[in-house]
Amino acid sequence: MSSHAATTDDPHAALAPLKKTSTGVENKKLAMWAFLASDCMFFGTLISTHLIYRKVYPTVVEPTEIFDIELTAFSSFILLMSSLLMALSVSAAHKGNIAGMRRFLLGTIFFGLIFLSGQVYEFNHFVRESGLTLSSSVFGSTFYVLTGTHGVHVALGVLWLSCWTACTLPKDWAWYTLKGRRFLWLPFRVVFAPMTGRYKHENALDVEVAGLYWHFVDVVWIVIFTAVYLVEYLPVFGF
Amino acid sequence: MRPRIRTPFLVAAGIAGALLLLLAGCSLNIEGQQSALDPKGPIAKNQYDIFMLILYVTLFIFVTVGGALAWVLWKFRQRKGDDPNFIPPQSHGHPMLEMGLVIASAALLVIIAIPTFGGIILKKVVPDELLENAVEINATGFQWWWAFEYPDYGFYTANEIVFPAGRAIKINLRSDDVIHSFWLPKLAGKVDLIPGQENFIWILADEPGYFWGQCAEFCGDSHAYMLFRAIALPEDEWEQWLEDQQRDTVKDDGSFEPLLAREDWGYPEDKILKGAEVFRQACAGCHSVNPRQQTNGPNLAHFGSRTSVAAGWYENEYDLLYKWIREPENVKPGNFMYRGFLDRDGRTVIMPGLKDYDLSDEEVHAVTAYLYTLR
Amino acid sequence: MASTVETEHHAPAPAEPVRDGIWRRPLKNTGLVGFLTTVDHKKIGIGYAVGALFFLILGGIEALIIRAQLMYPEQEVISARTYNQLFTMHGTTMIFLAVMPLSAAFFNYIMPLQIGARDVAFPRMNALGLWCFLLGGVILNLSWFFPGGAPAIGWFAYAPLTDRQYSPEMGTDFWIMGLQILGIASLVGAFNFITTIVNMRAPGMSMMRLPLFTWMTLITSFLIILAFPAITIALIELMFDRHFGTYFFNVEGGGKPILWQHLFWIFGHPEVYILILPAMGIISEILPVFSRKPLFGYPLIVFSGAVIGFLGFAVWSHHMFTTGLGVVATTAFAFLTMLIAIPTGVKIFNWIGTMWGGRIRFTTPMLFSVGFIWMFMMGGFTGIMHSSPPVDAQQQDTYFVVAHFHYVLIGGSIFALFAGMYYWFPKVTGRLMDDFVGKIVFYLMFIGFNLAFFPMHILGMTGMPRRTHTYKSEMGWDQSNFWSTIGAFILGIGILIFVIQAIHAYYKGKKSPKDPWDSRTLEWDTESPPKEYNFPYTPVIHARDQVWEDKYGVEAKRMEKIAPGEHGIHMPDQSWWPLITSIGLFIACLGMVFHKQPVPMTSEAVFGLEIVIAGLLLTFYGIAAWALEGPGGFHLHPDPAEYADAMPAPEDDHGHH
Repeated sequence: MSSHAATTDDPHAALAPLKKTSTGVENKKLAMWAFLASDCMFFGTLISTHLIYRKVYPTVVEPTEIFDIELTAFSSFILLMSSLLMALSVSAAHKGNIAGMRRFLLGTIFFGLIFLSGQVYEFNHFVRESGLTLSSSVFGSTFYVLTGTHGVHVALGVLWLSCWTACTLPKDWAWYTLKGRRFLWLPFRVVFAPMTGRYKHENALDVEVAGLYWHFVDVVWIVIFTAVYLVEYLPVFGF
Repeated sequence: MRPRIRTPFLVAAGIAGALLLLLAGCSLNIEGQQSALDPKGPIAKNQYDIFMLILYVTLFIFVTVGGALAWVLWKFRQRKGDDPNFIPPQSHGHPMLEMGLVIASAALLVIIAIPTFGGIILKKVVPDELLENAVEINATGFQWWWAFEYPDYGFYTANEIVFPAGRAIKINLRSDDVIHSFWLPKLAGKVDLIPGQENFIWILADEPGYFWGQCAEFCGDSHAYMLFRAIALPEDEWEQWLEDQQRDTVKDDGSFEPLLAREDWGYPEDKILKGAEVFRQACAGCHSVNPRQQTNGPNLAHFGSRTSVAAGWYENEYDLLYKWIREPENVKPGNFMYRGFLDRDGRTVIMPGLKDYDLSDEEVHAVTAYLYTLR
Repeated sequence: MASTVETEHHAPAPAEPVRDGIWRRPLKNTGLVGFLTTVDHKKIGIGYAVGALFFLILGGIEALIIRAQLMYPEQEVISARTYNQLFTMHGTTMIFLAVMPLSAAFFNYIMPLQIGARDVAFPRMNALGLWCFLLGGVILNLSWFFPGGAPAIGWFAYAPLTDRQYSPEMGTDFWIMGLQILGIASLVGAFNFITTIVNMRAPGMSMMRLPLFTWMTLITSFLIILAFPAITIALIELMFDRHFGTYFFNVEGGGKPILWQHLFWIFGHPEVYILILPAMGIISEILPVFSRKPLFGYPLIVFSGAVIGFLGFAVWSHHMFTTGLGVVATTAFAFLTMLIAIPTGVKIFNWIGTMWGGRIRFTTPMLFSVGFIWMFMMGGFTGIMHSSPPVDAQQQDTYFVVAHFHYVLIGGSIFALFAGMYYWFPKVTGRLMDDFVGKIVFYLMFIGFNLAFFPMHILGMTGMPRRTHTYKSEMGWDQSNFWSTIGAFILGIGILIFVIQAIHAYYKGKKSPKDPWDSRTLEWDTESPPKEYNFPYTPVIHARDQVWEDKYGVEAKRMEKIAPGEHGIHMPDQSWWPLITSIGLFIACLGMVFHKQPVPMTSEAVFGLEIVIAGLLLTFYGIAAWALEGPGGFHLHPDPAEYADAMPAPEDDHGHH
C-alpha cells in the first residue's frame, strides 16, 4: 500500500512542482508574508506605546542627552547594508552559486552582529552612565522593551542565517578544520555540525524566505530609528 | 427510525417567547433602587429616551425580519407527504433587493444616530444656564469605598453624596488604586474613575430624593460590596447640611471625646469614653474625624448622621454597624479595615488592620456606640 | 505542495527514514505515539474538538457554580474571592479554550476537505498549534493548584488591578503566560490556514467558488494574525510590569492604565468576530443544504464578512465609552459601530432569502441554525443599543451586557458550533447521530438558554452590575436571578445529553453513508470518515456547490477527477518535534510564572530565569531538529476502485496538485 519516496535525479525538474500552488507563490513565502503582516502589528503596538509615553512625566532623563546618535546612525547604516548583502546572497542562491551565497550570508551575519554589539554597548552605556533602566521611568520601560524586541528579532535572524550558512558547509566541515580547538568550538559543533552538508538547490527558497524576514527587520529598524531616536532631535516634535 | 418530533420549531419558539414575556412581566421591577428605567434627572431621562427609541426601532425590525423568518419557516417547511426529492428553483440572489435592504438598514441607523449625538454632548457638557450655580464635588474611589470632597467648602465625607435638588452637580472622578466606576442609574449613566486620569460626570436630580449607586467596574475582592447613596435635598436642608458638615465633632485635644452634648449621647458616659479610647488606639490611624482631613480610610467626622455603613452595603443601624466592626471580613471580604494596608509588593504590611488588634466584644460595642455620637 | 519534492531529495529512497537527532522518526500512526506525533489535519481537528469540549464543560461547570451563588440574594455558596476567580476563569476558558478551539477544530477538519486539499500547507505547524492550545489550557488551569489560586481579574484584566500591588498572587501570572501560549497556538494556526486556503485549492476552485465556511476561515485567520499581536504585546508589557518593575500601566512611574484597555480591545473587538465569523460560516453551509437551495447572495455574504472583519479593527473604543473619551472620539466610534449592523443585517437577510422558496427539512443541524438566527438577531439588537454611548452609559458593565454577549456567543457561536457538530459528525466519525435525541438537546438548550439569559436584560436595565458576588434583596433582582439560574441548569443538562449522545453515537451509532444530508460541498464527496489521504483523486472543480451539481446539475458543471500518478499520493511523515517544541514553550511559560515568586513549601522565591532559559533552549532545539528533519513523506497508493471514474494523471505529474 505505501512506499517511500523515490529519488528524482534532476533538481531543476524537482523545483517545478513547488510552483504548483493556486497562486503560483510558494507556500513558505506566503506564510512568511502573513507572519510579517502580523509582525507589523507587533512592532506597531510597541512603537505606539513608546510614542504615547515618550513625553510623559516624569522624564528622568532628556533623551537627546543620553543618546549617542552618531553611533546609532552608524549601526543603522550597517544594518541597512546588511540588507544589501542579504539581497546578494538570495540572488546567488537562486543562481546556484553556493560559495557566493555563503560569502554574502557571512557578511550579512557579520553586519548583524555589529549592529547587535552596538545595541549591547548602547544598553550597557545607558544603564551605567545615564541611569536609564527598565524601572527608572516609563521612557526607560518603553525604550528597552521596544529596542530590545527588535534586538531579539535581529539575533534570531542572525541565528537563522547562521544555520543556513552551516548547511552550505561540506558535511562535518568543522571536524577537519578546527581540529585541536574542539573545546572552543564545542557549542558550534553541537548546534551547527548536524546541519553541515544539507544545503540543496531547492533550499534557495528557504534562504529567500529568511531574506524576507531580514529585510523586514531592517525596515522596522528604520521606523524605530526615526520614532525613537531622530524624533527627539526634531524641534517640531520636541514639545 | 424513531418518530420525528412533529412540533415545528415555530410552535416551540412561540411558547418559549410567551413564557419569557410572562416571566419578564413578573420580574421587571421598574422602580427598583437602581433601575435605569425609572429616571429622575435629565441625563438619565435622555439616556432612557434613546434606549426606548432604539428599543422601538429594533422591535420594528424584529417584527418585520423575524416575521419574515417565521413565515418562511412555516411556508416552506417540508410537510408530511411532500415528495422528498423535490428540488426547488435554484435562485442565487437578487442584487436589487439586497441593495435595497442595505439602504433601508442604513436609514434606520440614521434615526438612532441623531439623538445619540445629542446624548453624547449632553453627558459631556453642562448646559450654560445650569453652570453658574453648579455645585462641585470631588469623588475618589478606593477599594472598596468612596471619598467625597466638597472643595468649595473644604470638607470631606464618605460613601454618601449629598447635594441640592434642581442644581447641576459637577463631580470630578479620580481613583487612587484601581479602576472604579461611578454609577447612579436614576440620575446618570456611569463614568469610570481611572488612576492617573481626571474624569468628569454631571448629574441633576429633578426632585429631592434618595438614590442608590454602585461601583460598576470590577475592582477586586469586594467589588460587589462597593455601593454608595446619593441624597438630593431641598435648598434649605442643603444649606443646613453644609453648615453641619463643617462643624467639628470631637475635641481637638487628642482625646477623641465627642463634642456632642453629653445628654444627647444616648449611651452611658463611660461606654462612650471607652469607645473614644478604642477609636484612638485602633481606628484613628486610618479614619479621620476631622471633617477637613482625608486619610487612608473613610472620614468619620459626621458618621452618626449617615444613613448607611460599609459603603452602602448596610443600613446605618446599631446591630449592623456592630457586625461590621466585629467581623468585617465576613461582611466585606478582603477589606483593608480588617487586613491592614500592604506595600507595593503586595506582601509587607505597612498599616495594621483590625485582625492585629483583637478587640473584645465589649470594646466593639463601645466603639459602635461612640460612632453614633459623631454627628 | 512544496513538501514532496524536498523529501525526495533528502531521503534517497530509504526503506527506513533517516535517523535524525535522538529520535527515530515515528512511523506508527495508531495508538498513543500515533496521536502524539500526528500531522494529519483530521486527527488534529478531532484533538481540538475533544479538548474544546472538555474545556466547554469545565467552563460550563464554573458558570453553573456562579449561577448557584446568584440564585438567591446574599448567599454564600462560595466566597467573593472564589466567585471572582470563577468568572475570570469562566470567561477566559470559554473564549480561548472552548469557542476558539472548537472553531479551529472545524477549520482543521473541514476546510482542507472543502477545498479539495490533501492536508494543510504545514502539517507539523498544525500539530504545534494543537499542542500549544492544550498546554495553554493546562497552564491556565494549573493556577487553581498554587497558592492564591486562579486569577481574579476578569477576562479583560484591566490594569492596574493586575499590578503586583493589587494582585500579588501567581494566578495573574498563570493567566498572562497561558494566554501568551494560546496566542502562539492561534497565530501558527492562522498562518497555516491562510496559506492553505490561498494556495492549496483544488484545480478550478476559484476564490468565488470557495464554500462560505472556508471564506470565513480565511477572514477569521486574517483577523487573528492582525489582532493577536496587540494582546501579545500588552501581555508582555504587563509581564514586565509584574516581574521587572517597568511602568507601562503603573501610574507611579508615569504609565497609563487606559493604555491596557486600548491595546486589549484593539485585540478584543476583532476577537469577538474571530468567535462569530466561523459560526456564520457554518450556518451558511447548513441553511442551503436543508433548504435545498444555494446560498442567497453569495458574493454579498462573503463581502459582508470581510467588511465586518475590517470594521472590527475600527470600533474597539466602544468598549470604553465610559472611560472619559472625548466627544469626537466617542461619536466616531459610536457611528462606526452602528455601521457594523449593516453587514450583519445583510447576512440575516440573505439567510432568510436562502430559505425562501426552498424545501426546509427541520433536522437537528437545521434547528440549531434557525435557533442561531433568532438568538443572534436578539444579540444584534442589544448590540445596536450599546453602540449608542448614552444608552451604553447605563448598560456598560451591567447584566445587560452579559445578556448581550451571551446571546451572540452562546445563541450565536455555540449554537452554530453545535449545528456544525451535528452536521459534520457523520463525516468525521462515519456514524449518524440520532435526530430525535438531537432535537431534545436542541429544545433543552434553546429553552434553557433563553430562560437563563433573557432575564439578564431586565437585571441590567434595573441596575445590577456584572461581576458582583451577591446582591441585596431590596434591589428587586431576586426573581430574574432565580429563573436565570434555573435556565442555566437546563442549558447545562442539554449540553450534557449532547456529550453522552456523541460518545454513544461514536461507538454505537448507525453507519453513515458518504453524503447523509444530501449536501452541496466537496467534503461530502469523500468517504465517511475520510481516508488518510482525503481524496483518492484530484478533484477538478466546475461549480460553487460542486457536490450538488454532481447529483442534480447539468453535465458541464460535473466534477472531473484526475487519478493519482504512478507515485501515488504523497503524505507527510509524522514528527515528535511539534510536541517537543510546545513542551519547551510550556516550560518557559511556567518558568516565567515562578520567576521570583514564592513556591509552595518554601514561601521563598527560589527561581530566577533558569527555567525560562531551559524552556527556551528546548524550544530552539525542537525548532532546529524540526527543520533538520524536513517534512519527510511517503507515498500511498489508494485502491484503483476508489478512483475508477477518474482520468489518468498527466505524464509529468508527481501525483498531487
